[in-house]
Amino acid sequence: MTTQGPMALPEADAVPSGVLPDRRRAPITRLLRAEVRWIFRRPRTLAVLGLLAALPVITGVAVDLTMDGQGASAPAGPGGGGPGGPGGEPPIFVTMATSAFVLPLGSLMTLLMLLLPLTVAMASGDALAGEQSHGAMRGWLLAPVARGRLLVVKAVGVLVVALAASALVVTSGLVTGLVLAGTDGLVSMSGTELSVADVLWRLAIAVAWATVYLMAVGAVALAISASTEHPMVVVVSVLGGLIVSGVLMQISALDWLHPYLLPTSVTSLVDLIRDPVSFDGLGEGAFRALCYLAIGMSLAYARITTRDG
Amino acid sequence: MTTARAEEAVPGPGKGSGTAFAARTRGLRKVYRGTVAVDGVDLEVPEGAVVGMLGPNGSGKTTTIRMLLGLVQPTEGEIELLGVPVPGELDRVLPHVGALVEGPGFHPFLSGRENLLRFAAAEPFLAGGQLDGAVSAALERVGLADAARRKYRAYSLGMKQRLGLASALLAPRRLVVLDEPTNGLDPAGTQEVRRIIAELHDNGVTVLVSSHLLAEVEATCTHVVVLNEGVVVAQGALDDLLESGSPTLLVSTPDGAWAVDTLRDHRIPARLAPDGVRVDITTTAPATVIETLVRAGVGVDEARRERTGLEEAFARLTHDVGEVVGELDADEPAVAQEGRAR
Repeated sequence: MTTQGPMALPEADAVPSGVLPDRRRAPITRLLRAEVRWIFRRPRTLAVLGLLAALPVITGVAVDLTMDGQGASAPAGPGGGGPGGPGGEPPIFVTMATSAFVLPLGSLMTLLMLLLPLTVAMASGDALAGEQSHGAMRGWLLAPVARGRLLVVKAVGVLVVALAASALVVTSGLVTGLVLAGTDGLVSMSGTELSVADVLWRLAIAVAWATVYLMAVGAVALAISASTEHPMVVVVSVLGGLIVSGVLMQISALDWLHPYLLPTSVTSLVDLIRDPVSFDGLGEGAFRALCYLAIGMSLAYARITTRDG
Repeated sequence: MTTARAEEAVPGPGKGSGTAFAARTRGLRKVYRGTVAVDGVDLEVPEGAVVGMLGPNGSGKTTTIRMLLGLVQPTEGEIELLGVPVPGELDRVLPHVGALVEGPGFHPFLSGRENLLRFAAAEPFLAGGQLDGAVSAALERVGLADAARRKYRAYSLGMKQRLGLASALLAPRRLVVLDEPTNGLDPAGTQEVRRIIAELHDNGVTVLVSSHLLAEVEATCTHVVVLNEGVVVAQGALDDLLESGSPTLLVSTPDGAWAVDTLRDHRIPARLAPDGVRVDITTTAPATVIETLVRAGVGVDEARRERTGLEEAFARLTHDVGEVVGELDADEPAVAQEGRAR
């Protein structure tokens, strides 16, 4: 009860604060490892990744069977068809659907419409809202992990999921295509033959681009995740956002709005099938995604640093 | 309680000027959307003490603790933790503070051990190679070693609570904050928590433990802080607080209300209790009280002096339960009613 006063100056090292050891932080690699392990231990993550890996296989096999039956016009397969944007998806699926080049790209494009963004939204929802709902967020804050640092760790976790999911879809499509059609049908839309190496780097670009696109979704999802403690709200919001964007994109009177909608970019993946590759659309799409990413992460940061733990 | 003067035993700061505080607040205030949760709290947790934070639900215990730990920003006021201002230097203090706040927070699909490993990874003062050992030691300490590999989902309430306790004890601490640590524990578990608190105390660790169970605080603490409606109504060494209660006289009478009126007319503080009329005899001699009553024609069956236990002190400080209960349900002892209302 001595009147030591509350004027504990930051520099008053000699007296009470000298007692505490210096500031120290847990190495970020350790945090990241713990985060990634946690993500991939979650049954839900594994189930969705399994589904994502299976879809290109199902699509490829289904289309292959249909084509064998007679060059049918109706592309079957749960992944195929879809809400179909512009950009000639049906022709791709009918003509070269089982090629080791088109199958992975087509699958990626189709899944980017809905399932991949939802996967990332789920990861983002679990990352912050899920931790909060289990009361585990306090564990991090009390350890302590600074809030900004925690957001970085969580964002990297989402990035890993985005990358793993896109890579898985493309790899699964590639392998299925190779099994079904060997190296036949490695042709561009312009009809030129492509070497295996050429195909691989185009697919690598597709994975990288999809990851950036998905991180844009993930950043927005993280912002929502930081504001709620119900992971489901995050998934539903992202789903709602995608559907609304999809509807708006169909309304030609809203042409001026379309460049601002994230899903506008997805169809530019088709450019990777052209020879030579046209990077205009992809570049624009990546830029749009980065804008979303910046806005999403800023909002998430603003929210996580002010929210009650 | 003979351990009350434990400050001397603390290896902490060797400065001669008075008591050092492991935690201290000045004018702490928190308003949630217009509701005042905590108001003007001047908390003092002496180093090396076991401080019990006592108060009914909604009295601001948890909010105060959350502000201490930087989980919530105070609306007003200053906080000092282990001699360092908070939240300013939170990152520097928290590694030395273990906490179990608002129940355990873990993921059901991981085992107890995996859950702890996750948080151990975030402990700044644990080196990479120490993580496994620290987790094992913490699990051992709370008696969960055998259940370490079971999924958290399959844990009983008591086991979950123990795991929460284990995460508070992952690294060597100087202050351990436990919010209702015996929630959901059976008597054996409660006993074990008491043992752990005593052990921490013996090692010179300061413990701040919140509870609404008086017996709990009386059994484990050297100091007490009583909160009610966001305000500190009493704090100090347990022994002092036990003695400080003003002496009362319990008068058994068939005309309780009349007796209270009569005494109040004579400016003698009195109130109706389930078992009679409780009269404050700080300033009035017991003889005068009885004389006053008898003169007014109130029948007095029995009068006896009461020792003010912490229970009574608590009930008196937080709520005028005696009166309320007396009106609602005269058969129930005040304290039992209090306990059940939680």
